Amino acid sequence: MSARLSEFQLVQPARIEDAIAAFVAKPGARYVAGGTDLLVNMRRGIVSADRLIDLSGVAGWGSIDADAEGMTIGAGVTIAALARDPIVISRYPAVAQAATSIAGPGHRNVATVGGNLCLDTRCIYYNQSEWWRKSNDYCLKNRGDTCHVAPQGKRCHAAFSGDLAPVFLALGASAEIAGVDGRRRVPLSDLYVEDGRAHLSLKPGELVASVHLPAVLAACAYEKVRARGAIDYPLAGVAVALMIAGGKIVMLRIALTGTNSRPFLLADVDQFIGKSVDDAMLHGVDRLVQRQVQPMRTTLAAAHYRRLAAAAVARRVVRRLAGA
Amino acid sequence: MHEPSAQYKKRLLRIKVNGRWREDAVADGCMLVDYLRDTAGLTGVKTGCDGGECGACTVLLDGLPVLACVTLAVRCEGRSVETIEGLAAQGRPSRLQQAFHEKLGAQCGYCTPGMVMASEALLRRNPTPTDDEIRAALAGNLCRCTGYVKIIESVKAVAGLAP
Amino acid sequence: MTAAFASSRPGVPLIDGIDKVLGRARYTADLDRAGALVGRILRSPIAHGEIVRIDTARARALDGVIAIVTGADCDKTYGVLPIAMNEYPMARDRVRYCGEPIAAVAAVDEETAQRALDLIDVEFRALPAYFISKDARAPDAVLLHANKPGNVEREVHHDFGDIEAGFAAADLVREHRVSCAEINHAQIEPHACLADFDPVTGRLTVQDVSQVVYYLHLMLARCLDMDESQIRVIKPFVGGGFGARVEVLNFEIVTALLARAAGGRVFMQLTREETFITHRARPQTDVVLKLGMKKDGRFTACACEVTQRGGAYAGYGVVTILYAGALLQGLYDIPAVKYDGYRVYANLPPCGAMRGHGGVNTRHAFETLVDRMARELGLDPFAVRRANLLHAPMQTMNGLMVQSYGLAECLDVVEQASGWKERIGRMPPGKGLGMSCSHYVSGSAKPIHFTGEPHAVIHLKLDHDGGVTALTGAADIGQGSSTMVAIAVAETLEVGIDRIRVISSDTAVTPKDNGAYSSRITFMVGNAAIDAAKNLKKILIAAAAKKLEAHPDEIDCAGGIFRVGRGGQAMLSFKEVVAAALVDEGAISVKGSFTCPVEFQGGKHRGGAVGSTMGFSYGAQVVETSVDEATGMVTIDKVWVALDCGHAINPLAVKGQIEGQVWMGMGQALCEETRYLDGLPAHASFLDYKMPTIVESPHIEAFIVESNDPNGPFGAKEASEGALAGFPPAMVNAIVNAIGVELDEIPATPDRVLEAIVQHQRKVKLAQKKARS
Repeated sequence: MSARLSEFQLVQPARIEDAIAAFVAKPGARYVAGGTDLLVNMRRGIVSADRLIDLSGVAGWGSIDADAEGMTIGAGVTIAALARDPIVISRYPAVAQAATSIAGPGHRNVATVGGNLCLDTRCIYYNQSEWWRKSNDYCLKNRGDTCHVAPQGKRCHAAFSGDLAPVFLALGASAEIAGVDGRRRVPLSDLYVEDGRAHLSLKPGELVASVHLPAVLAACAYEKVRARGAIDYPLAGVAVALMIAGGKIVMLRIALTGTNSRPFLLADVDQFIGKSVDDAMLHGVDRLVQRQVQPMRTTLAAAHYRRLAAAAVARRVVRRLAGA
Repeated sequence: MHEPSAQYKKRLLRIKVNGRWREDAVADGCMLVDYLRDTAGLTGVKTGCDGGECGACTVLLDGLPVLACVTLAVRCEGRSVETIEGLAAQGRPSRLQQAFHEKLGAQCGYCTPGMVMASEALLRRNPTPTDDEIRAALAGNLCRCTGYVKIIESVKAVAGLAP
Repeated sequence: MTAAFASSRPGVPLIDGIDKVLGRARYTADLDRAGALVGRILRSPIAHGEIVRIDTARARALDGVIAIVTGADCDKTYGVLPIAMNEYPMARDRVRYCGEPIAAVAAVDEETAQRALDLIDVEFRALPAYFISKDARAPDAVLLHANKPGNVEREVHHDFGDIEAGFAAADLVREHRVSCAEINHAQIEPHACLADFDPVTGRLTVQDVSQVVYYLHLMLARCLDMDESQIRVIKPFVGGGFGARVEVLNFEIVTALLARAAGGRVFMQLTREETFITHRARPQTDVVLKLGMKKDGRFTACACEVTQRGGAYAGYGVVTILYAGALLQGLYDIPAVKYDGYRVYANLPPCGAMRGHGGVNTRHAFETLVDRMARELGLDPFAVRRANLLHAPMQTMNGLMVQSYGLAECLDVVEQASGWKERIGRMPPGKGLGMSCSHYVSGSAKPIHFTGEPHAVIHLKLDHDGGVTALTGAADIGQGSSTMVAIAVAETLEVGIDRIRVISSDTAVTPKDNGAYSSRITFMVGNAAIDAAKNLKKILIAAAAKKLEAHPDEIDCAGGIFRVGRGGQAMLSFKEVVAAALVDEGAISVKGSFTCPVEFQGGKHRGGAVGSTMGFSYGAQVVETSVDEATGMVTIDKVWVALDCGHAINPLAVKGQIEGQVWMGMGQALCEETRYLDGLPAHASFLDYKMPTIVESPHIEAFIVESNDPNGPFGAKEASEGALAGFPPAMVNAIVNAIGVELDEIPATPDRVLEAIVQHQRKVKLAQKKARS
């Protein structure tokens, strides 16, 4: 038998407004989509809720709409549906590539785009059983007051490891956020905060309703490093969007996951505009990545490795996209 | 003693299990794996990990492989669930089950139900998978006995692609 | 003895396989548990400390709690070796690792049991804890066990041949140090136990995941202070073992204690985390190995020092540290071997036996050093192995008997199949080939508990239905041992396998068997099965002779038909002969047994019994890898492996075992390790313990070599462990071949590989700088 979940009530609203109302009405409520992250965490006792609000029945939640302007992906689209959508495959192959590499098939059939974007941050001191965490006096992210990764520090360093976010960031995506006060659209990067304990900028009751991808001409690809060929979260993942004209870079975005408490766009890449992709440029990318990632001891793999691997993958993906 | 909570009442779950409709009182927090094993008596559905990591509990939900250990039973209301017990007809193994038997795709047999269900889902949508397609479809199912070699051979035997 | 290459017989599916594929096979957690209470264990939150106080009053007061047991309820130790039982089912005065059981609760449901655990108050006085061998062995370290100075459970010093002369005679002497991480069996079925105590009769019935039903029976009697006759242990289907269940485990005794305290039935299923904490697997091992080699590749001497971090209790520790030294021999001809072994206590879950028990990590050190030296001498790795082959029959310096030896054929097979000669030295950048050899025992020739009884006993029952029921205590845990028994009986009786029914591992029904460990079942139980079947056949032939009015010597029996002479006219069917045999006798019970003769039971030196066996299996393999130098990711592209298992009784199962063991060696080599954070397991899930998925698992081409062992059943030897130890060194050798970088540690996780690459590049740069200046 499985470890029983603490008791809760599941509500299944049909409209997003009802979902939000159900959330606001009950302190301690949580949204659940596919549940592959949340329910595992609930089973381990690191997340609890008196009420779960099931978003899977929300109308329009799971659709993909494409037009000349780009594509809008409902937060409820499953990872599997995203990975096999013909328009996604043809227009945003990197998205399909990233989706296909998430966890295992059984997860992807229920896990959603919104869930992957809002994936809880992870740490070897956090993703443990109640007995384990209690024996270790808990941690800053859960019931404790020390971050075991950096005991001197004030913040939680748990790492974000969603695979879709870096690709969406590289593609210049925006997120539509629904809340009590209606809807707002923000650049996707604004969804995230560099704090492992509270890495989402969502206000109480807010949820990601959809993601909008602009039409892009840039080539885009995603690659990650992980211990095994499936199931595992990325130790480091890199998405690159690159456009070259006349041998010179005209657009470049590099986004990373797995190294920090949030997925983020690499800063200062504009210095490469107008340059060609050569060894010097790739060396520059490597240095930039190594300087900006902040891997901490949140995984069993060495933190320094995640820094080196992120840089190596970034270099490789840029080179591959440039056909160099 | 654990007194049934008034606040969190069980609800009546209507669910099709291996082709037959059932109605059972189920708590909102009950996982599909526990419902299938403890309430429906389908112990072919296995538990190997503490949640979402090994694939032993893989069942088909409306034809798609899902992990019963991270699926809330009540979310399967009105839906169809297939387990390993549902593949046999009149007690006889399906071709896929027979292949797992004959090709030694099952050693200790503990991962087998999940492995067979994930393979079943693959073969329904792709009757002639390549080795890589088999690997991709079974990527979430861990086996400790076989090194996966004979599992791939078992699936291929049904696909008619075996050498 | 020359070996025949491969086996063209296909073999048969497992006789219990259909139950598994239909989902109707019942494992412990699937048994009817109507009315059973739920058992849960309270585990230590600290790695080392004295228990000052345990107060269970608040928990006992909780409605729905039926029984609570603590260390106070069992003052009997349990363990493996009679001389080294130093562990209580629940800690009494001291806890020695995080997760050690302290108390247990039986309650009406899971929630109540969990709430009761939270209400048990335990006060500790913390002691310093040691998580690496060096710290535990420090002069001022607190002793985990008062009788073991220096926290060394066992030191072994073995010296065979003239070691100094050996090194003096060498053209090249090299020494290296390797470190192998601790790993776990990680069988997919979590531990579980269903114990039933009848307070009226005082009898206890336990159904459980054990590989060693008889030892469990023995330990239950000891720890519950019960007469053995009042206990019954039954093994349902078991979801893998690999050594995890090869010793009696604390939760098994705790569940029985709870059942007795509750006067009823208790079911306990451990979580995956608890299953990992129960552990008993391969220890973290440091090996320092020194080898002497002649220019032609001949070994002259080997000196090896092994330090195993054994965890908090003895378990199989003494055996493991002895195996690590003993198995330096029996594979190659080495004129002198010196071995120093140290089994160290540390504040971590106890290690134990795991597939390839004891031999894997020393083999890794040996086979990687052989390759380093071969490179230095410009020798082909195959040629070096061939220069050092044994010649059966022979006895090694440490008293191990080698009666059959198919290693030369194994080498030929994998060399050819992998295209080694054509491909080595011509691999594209980042790709490499590596090879290695290994061996393993076919059952320990001396049992742990010496009783003077045979090593294996089988009963056969034949009744009016004409069905032959084989009763065996041998635990089928998925490896196919019951099928092996059925084949052995069927082939000896010359009847179809459908006529044989095997009942395994129920101590009320089946004869005692030592269990599924040290790959003993095929050799010992196989021989006992053949013996039993021969005894039954004698009875049947006598009955046929009587009926056909002929002399028993004249009776020919083939395909279940008995006749006088070959091609005789008068004939009887099997059922007719059975009917004839039952006249005046009724149901027939015969027995067969097998005992390893004393000359096979090892050298006379202290610890000489460990490593002794009637027959060694031999394996050779070639591994092809790709290394991504940018990320340190290692990919295994393909494996070719040949195993000399004497004779493949069931070739299908043998191939399955070869693939499985090689793959398990791959897991250890590539990515698996157990890690602790201040004594807390950081690996205790299938997400953090990196057992390979199907995606990165390569095709393994397995070849069977049959050397026909003179003593094995039909010539068979073991087939489940001998090739495992070859994988890690073959992979590391392939990585060197691919990128020129040596790895001193396994697993070859990407961070370790990248670090080794960086260090290597630094060294190369430094050397270039030196050369310039």
